[in-house]
Amino acid sequence: MSAQVPADRLRDLRSVTDAALAYLPLEDLLNELLRRVVAILNADTAAILLLEDDDKTLAARAARGLEEEVERGVRIPVGKGFAGRIAASRQPVQIENIDEAEIVNPILREKGLRSLLGVPLLVEGGVIGVMHVGTLTERKFSGEDVELLQSAGDRAALAISSRLTERERGLADALQNSLIPRLPNLPALALTGRYLPAASAQLGGDWYDAFQLPDGRLGMAIGDVVGRGFYAAAIMGQLRSGLRAYALDSGAPGEVLGRLSRLLRQLEPGRTATVLYLVLDPYAGSLVASSAGHPPVLIAGSAGSTFVELPGSAPLGATRHPTYQEREHEVEPGSTLILYTDGLVERAGESLNDGFERLVRAVQGAEEDLEHLGDHLVDELLPGGTTDDDAALLLARALPMTDSLATRLPADVESIPLMRRMLGRWLHEAGATQAQAEDLSLATSEACANAIEHAYGPGPGILEVTASISPGGDALVAIRDYGSWRPPRGANRGRGLMLMEGLADSVEVVRGDEGTTVQLSRRLGAEAA
Amino acid sequence: MTAKVEFDHRDSVGVALLSGDVDIAHASTLRKQLLSAVRNDDLGLVVDLTDARYIDSVGVSLLFELAERLSDRQLRFAVVIPDGGLVQRVLTIVHLDSVAQVHPGLDHAVAALRSDA
Repeated sequence: MSAQVPADRLRDLRSVTDAALAYLPLEDLLNELLRRVVAILNADTAAILLLEDDDKTLAARAARGLEEEVERGVRIPVGKGFAGRIAASRQPVQIENIDEAEIVNPILREKGLRSLLGVPLLVEGGVIGVMHVGTLTERKFSGEDVELLQSAGDRAALAISSRLTERERGLADALQNSLIPRLPNLPALALTGRYLPAASAQLGGDWYDAFQLPDGRLGMAIGDVVGRGFYAAAIMGQLRSGLRAYALDSGAPGEVLGRLSRLLRQLEPGRTATVLYLVLDPYAGSLVASSAGHPPVLIAGSAGSTFVELPGSAPLGATRHPTYQEREHEVEPGSTLILYTDGLVERAGESLNDGFERLVRAVQGAEEDLEHLGDHLVDELLPGGTTDDDAALLLARALPMTDSLATRLPADVESIPLMRRMLGRWLHEAGATQAQAEDLSLATSEACANAIEHAYGPGPGILEVTASISPGGDALVAIRDYGSWRPPRGANRGRGLMLMEGLADSVEVVRGDEGTTVQLSRRLGAEAA
Repeated sequence: MTAKVEFDHRDSVGVALLSGDVDIAHASTLRKQLLSAVRNDDLGLVVDLTDARYIDSVGVSLLFELAERLSDRQLRFAVVIPDGGLVQRVLTIVHLDSVAQVHPGLDHAVAALRSDA
């Protein structure tokens, strides 16, 4: 058919995609394409509408002689009106007399257009948009006109699509980077995550997160939003924020997932996502997990690897009133939690079980260091890198505590539960009975609360907590602040001091120029009272 | 852990079941709920700490404040404290028994409040 197009018009056509255009920003490129198309087809107006990420709407992105289309942000549902029909049918549409046609966009009539010709912008068989031209006088477009516009459309589509991919890639990197969390730094706990974008550079919906809860435990989440592209990534960001908010509020993993499911149904009905959320108490050696259709967490310890199986559950957003059951599991000191998305274990032509087995094998050959283990798992499970799916991995390991404990914490009420759990575990490892560990941890909490309330103003400060065992078998805990000491005031602090004195064998307050140190001691062991 | 309070009502006695950590991190939430639960037409209030795992000086002060409020309204106050745990050790040190009746079980506490009537 192209043979019927005269040579000079073909030359014109080539101008639509000449190399110089490649360096223009996308909006300039579209405008320049339209200028050339108007000239070649001797039309009065031209416009390009591109399909939005929802695949349901066309949005005006560039126009010539119809600038209002872009300025007013015209949006046309696919299937409706002139442009919508072209996108839905993927066929050129010609309107000879606009009065006899169904038109959604009022600007076309306002401008006095009489005839229209539009073609789909196709990339690999998929519609990415519509390009149309219009005339102020009634015109019957010839087969040659249709052919020319479609050829121009094809070339434009390629240029736009490569430009979009490039733009999307830049945005994708920025978006994905903003969504990779900064993991909390907790004493005696190693934590690391990996996010692997899809090799196809499509924006994915995998994510992970880890954060400290108000009671000092650690929230860990990993998830996979079904779908790809900006919408999936944006939903992922909202789910991540939502999960944190619910987790800070409630803490119970099953409830958090139930609320998150309702959130997703409201954000985007029909969208589903899988999430695994667990609360780890690294100092008590236990976790509580709940899952919304997500593959189970793997715990790898000295005795082997165990998946924490949960009862079958629906993905978020899939059912109206989902219930997400919880399961508690022990976590031995030194064992590793492995949270992952299916992109890490799934391979084409294999069952998911093969992937799980491969994960267990990869963990067994594991390196000691958690960072190395992260790299090792990625190398073993995705030897050729990702393909068209992204993947995420989150690892945590409770480390054995050393002979003496030394930790610096923000002088903030939120540090107290964390300190209490950490000290409790250290005392346990040092041979304290449960009651001794509880008593000294509470006395230390009171000393910390004193320092937070009385040593510092509203600004930030630091608390240092150190603990050691004396040669005589006493546990010695020192709580140091760098503020200016004020005597405890009010009934709370009076009772705080009373508790410190009642729970520890001795309490000493040492005031220096640079701050105050409270020293507590308590005899440990079975013979101690 | 988190902290939670559930309310019950038995024979004109209000019952508040506290579970989890009654501490500096949760006291303000618990305080609002507990203070709003006191009813003038009740004989009194029993705070059941059987499921409380932890209490610090802020939690202790909450109990003392509650005792004062109830006493202002001529209402009785009892606290159920399980035997042998941290909660019992703490509440002994601060002499909670100076402002509240202390009982090892809920039935006992409710009966004691009623029999004083």
